[in-house]
Amino acid sequence: MQIQGNEKRGFANNPIVKAIGLQRIVVVLAVILEALLFSVLSPAFRQYATVVSILDYSYYISFMAIGVTFCLISGGNDLSVGTGMICYALAGGYLVQHMGWPVWGGMLVTIAFGLCFGVLNGAMVAIMNLPPFIATLCTMLITRGLGSILTGGMAVSWPSRSANGGWFRSMFKIINSGKIVPVGFIIVLFFIILMTLVLNKTKVGRYIIAIGSNKEAARLSGVNVIKYQMMAYIISGFFAGLAGIAYAATFSSSVAPGTGAGLELDAIGGAIIGGTSMTGGSGSVIGTLLGVFVMSLLKTGLPYVGLQANWQQIITGLVLIVAIYIDVLKNRKTA
Amino acid sequence: MGEVILTMKGIDKSFPGVHALDHVDLEVRKGEVHALMGENGAGKSTLMKVLTGIYTKDSGTITYEGREVEFHNPKEAQEAGIVIVHQELNMMNHLTVAQNIFIGREFMKGGLIDDQKMNEESRKLFSQLGIDIDPSEKMGNLTVGKQQMCEIAKAISHEAKVIIFDEPSAALTEAEIEELFKIIRDLRAKQLGIVYISHRMDEIKVITDRVTVMRDGGYVGTLITEECTKDDIINMMVGRVIYEDPKTHSAVPENAPVVLKVEHLNAGKMVRDVSFELRKGEILGFSGLMGAGRTETARALFGADPKESGDIYINGKKVEIHSPQDAVKNGIGYLSEDRKRYGIVVGKTVAENSTMASLTDFVKGLFIDKKKENDATKKYIDRLKTKTPSVDQLVVNLSGGNQQKVVVAKWLVKNCDILIFDEPTRGIDVGAKSEIYHLMNELAAEGKSIIMISSEMTEILRMSDRIVVMCEGRKTAEIDIAEATQEKIMHAATLR
Amino acid sequence: MENFKNLPIIKKLGFNRIILVCVLILMYFLFSLGSGRMLGSGDIKNALNMVDYLGFLALGVTFVIATGGIDFSIGPVMVCAGLIAGRLLVTFGWPLWLVLIMCVVVGALFGVVNGILVAYMGLPSFISSMASMMLAKGVGSVFTHVQNSNWPASGAENSWYKYLVTYNGFPTGLVFLLVVAVICAILLNKTKVGRYILCIGSNREAVRLSGVDTRKWEALAYVICGTLAGIAAITYVGVITQVQPGLGDEFNNNAIASCVMGGTSMAGGVASIGGTIIGVLIISLLRVGIQAMGFRPDYQYIITGIIVALAVFADIRSSRRKK
Repeated sequence: MQIQGNEKRGFANNPIVKAIGLQRIVVVLAVILEALLFSVLSPAFRQYATVVSILDYSYYISFMAIGVTFCLISGGNDLSVGTGMICYALAGGYLVQHMGWPVWGGMLVTIAFGLCFGVLNGAMVAIMNLPPFIATLCTMLITRGLGSILTGGMAVSWPSRSANGGWFRSMFKIINSGKIVPVGFIIVLFFIILMTLVLNKTKVGRYIIAIGSNKEAARLSGVNVIKYQMMAYIISGFFAGLAGIAYAATFSSSVAPGTGAGLELDAIGGAIIGGTSMTGGSGSVIGTLLGVFVMSLLKTGLPYVGLQANWQQIITGLVLIVAIYIDVLKNRKTA
Repeated sequence: MGEVILTMKGIDKSFPGVHALDHVDLEVRKGEVHALMGENGAGKSTLMKVLTGIYTKDSGTITYEGREVEFHNPKEAQEAGIVIVHQELNMMNHLTVAQNIFIGREFMKGGLIDDQKMNEESRKLFSQLGIDIDPSEKMGNLTVGKQQMCEIAKAISHEAKVIIFDEPSAALTEAEIEELFKIIRDLRAKQLGIVYISHRMDEIKVITDRVTVMRDGGYVGTLITEECTKDDIINMMVGRVIYEDPKTHSAVPENAPVVLKVEHLNAGKMVRDVSFELRKGEILGFSGLMGAGRTETARALFGADPKESGDIYINGKKVEIHSPQDAVKNGIGYLSEDRKRYGIVVGKTVAENSTMASLTDFVKGLFIDKKKENDATKKYIDRLKTKTPSVDQLVVNLSGGNQQKVVVAKWLVKNCDILIFDEPTRGIDVGAKSEIYHLMNELAAEGKSIIMISSEMTEILRMSDRIVVMCEGRKTAEIDIAEATQEKIMHAATLR
Repeated sequence: MENFKNLPIIKKLGFNRIILVCVLILMYFLFSLGSGRMLGSGDIKNALNMVDYLGFLALGVTFVIATGGIDFSIGPVMVCAGLIAGRLLVTFGWPLWLVLIMCVVVGALFGVVNGILVAYMGLPSFISSMASMMLAKGVGSVFTHVQNSNWPASGAENSWYKYLVTYNGFPTGLVFLLVVAVICAILLNKTKVGRYILCIGSNREAVRLSGVDTRKWEALAYVICGTLAGIAAITYVGVITQVQPGLGDEFNNNAIASCVMGGTSMAGGVASIGGTIIGVLIISLLRVGIQAMGFRPDYQYIITGIIVALAVFADIRSSRRKK
């Protein structure tokens, strides 16, 4: 047993393993294992269409999760991304469907809504000092109500693929004479790279990490903690807006008010599985992407093995509990 | 030693009820290491806080590089070149070494942070200091010693001219201390002025050029280290008149049984192989300087923190204590040094706090017997002369001394025979202090056994029947009160 | 004003509680004015229907908030209990009395799970209870194969459970709730359980160092909360009859809002059962009033969100002032 333990430690200290990060390797293995498991259990799973559908699920969860990652790193959280995403997509879609706005205008409004609620969340957390989960719980409620009120409780349809303005769907998926090309992945990758840069190579990211690691030390080092803490929530709002667009473009033909609650857990779960800590200071955007794949594989794969949506909830819940518990244990060890 | 770089003259500072600094002088020259010494609460930290602008002085002057200055916050002081390397490090563990050093003033290249340049600059700093730290390592992965080197590097990168070390060696290993001293000597050779706060007498002799001693917020004197002995410094530190009568002999009868025996207790760095005995009716004083491991010993004994090894015997019987529950079951009560955090529940009433440990005894059927609870509380309010308008008063509204009495009541209601008083009179005014002393003597006379942790020499000499002295997690002396002197205790407390 | 606050009768009733009752009455007249008619017995009955189950949820979560935690699983747990028990009754033919007990058992079991996760495993309560919210939703739909649970309608066989909500127009549900509220108030203020729960919320470490098993008592708060969510399920089916899977999370927010409005502090240590009940009345009236005024019910989400934010903000401000 002793030898085994040493070997393990040796593996963790291997320079290559260290550079990539042990947890990330474990998550990649988990994704592969998960995919293999579904493939073995269900022949129907082994199809190109399944890959496309996994990606479809991954887009909006990825965007939400990127944003939430920044909030988690700052030592906070954002519960409003799920209902927020729907609310912003409703607002933008309503303008397109009923007010004759061009699609790009609707998309801008969707993102602008996200930014506004990001500012609101940031102000409540950084300036009013509300606990992040309560502040964002409140905006979760507000966006949920606002979404229905704006559209009069009706579902909103963004333009269909063939309709005028349907081009925005091709941003995520090009369908050409039956061939499907999931180009959305390029967009997601673009933002993953961009936000990795922001996190690691700009003051915004640097100070968000610093605040999550030791807020008082950051303040004493002359960092404007209010500004940069707010920035984390604004980023999260922006990405919730993007998630709204992705949701409208790929996942659903129409966006229904009153939905979206619970989706934030997919995002938070993805981020935590990807190695972002609940206690702040550490996390990575790429890790989050990997974590999201764990979640979206589950969402896509479970129906193939005969487990419907209801089982997904149970399994999401269990996965979340395990992920947080690992995070708690990790922190306990270092503390 | 070069010319004078910093002079503090006649610094005076009062807080409500405390005269913290009474006309203190300090002079630091370029190229010297100047020790600042004194017992706990002598005013060393306060003086440094006045210097770096955390506190504003009431009177006196600070002259720095030939002109009078007054800093309003640590940042101003830092910009002028005066930097403190704190005992508790102010680091962001999730960032790398270089990122920590340059936080708030990152190098930019094309809109992005230039981590490479920061690493290079850090490497330059480290090679200047002759230390080997990878600037791209995460701060949290370094040992405390290395983290401290980073703080020093950060100070130097701010072009510091005066660096204050606040007990830098407390958490370091021997090898790390060697390395630290090497750096300090280098800095001295570079004509920096260095203030070195420490309790370790041997270090003072090794590394410093001059020693300024403070006592009770006042300036005692400045010596040239080479020309004085350890005893000279100790005499200056403790040479105070004890106004209250010290105990001259133990009040414990010869044949009093041993109620508590602790053998080879180990818990982390701060409790190393501690053994002692406590007898019935005895007040056992635990003396030592800040960070000697006395509170940690008490908490490990009480089960509040996990211990690695060690046996505990109560009335000769071996007991297992893994949690405060076990300790309380075995009749041990602990009165924490930090009352507000660990002693009382501030938002609750005197009665609720008094019965906290023994609530089960006050349950009749399903309900708490409020009358019985109030009666018991009243009994101890009278007995301890707690000043409270009623048993339903919230303890947050009581004074420090009366809050302490509520904590005492909690353990008396539980009928604990062994009481650990951790700094029983901290933050308590003079009148209430003597009441607490009186109470402890009374309890001991009744046959309760008391462990009293105290950083006040007068308190130790006035109250204890026997004194255990600790230094850096180890018991360094056990002195009967009849033979105890301030010098002896201080000697054992600074043994390293 | 200070004098008024210090009048013995005011002190006894609690100044904040009096304000809340005034708010309640004011709201009634405002809604009457806004809807152009006096809110009649129909509206009141509507409001009371909601009070019946929301009340139990809010009572339960009061205990959890008192420890300084939060429970987002109560609504889905209630729905889950209703679904499971309904299927046991209708499909498996269990006797009604046993099925009602099962409601409570299911709720209590979820409470045990939450208690273990938070108190013994040390997970942050808000996120772990969100996970158990997913579990509750999932378990409920799995057990019923995503079908509605149709409890017997009024007048049908085995419908006496409805009498727990109304009996010939008499609001038995309200009486039921008030009785349980009184028991909760006694539990919170007169027993060891309540004493320790409140003290843990106020200063956990001081309680632990007094030799109290804080984990046990904290877990118990979640068990009490779950049990009350189970009881809520009984009145919920009494009102709704037909339980749909996948619902329930909106009730969490209403229950939590009722608590904080009633003066229970999110920071823990301070809780008021009376305040919670008044909070429930206000939230329920709000819902009915919004509908009576012809607004979409979704406004309630927004108003609830704002109320919670303001209540917690006020709580933070006042506790900072005390320090």
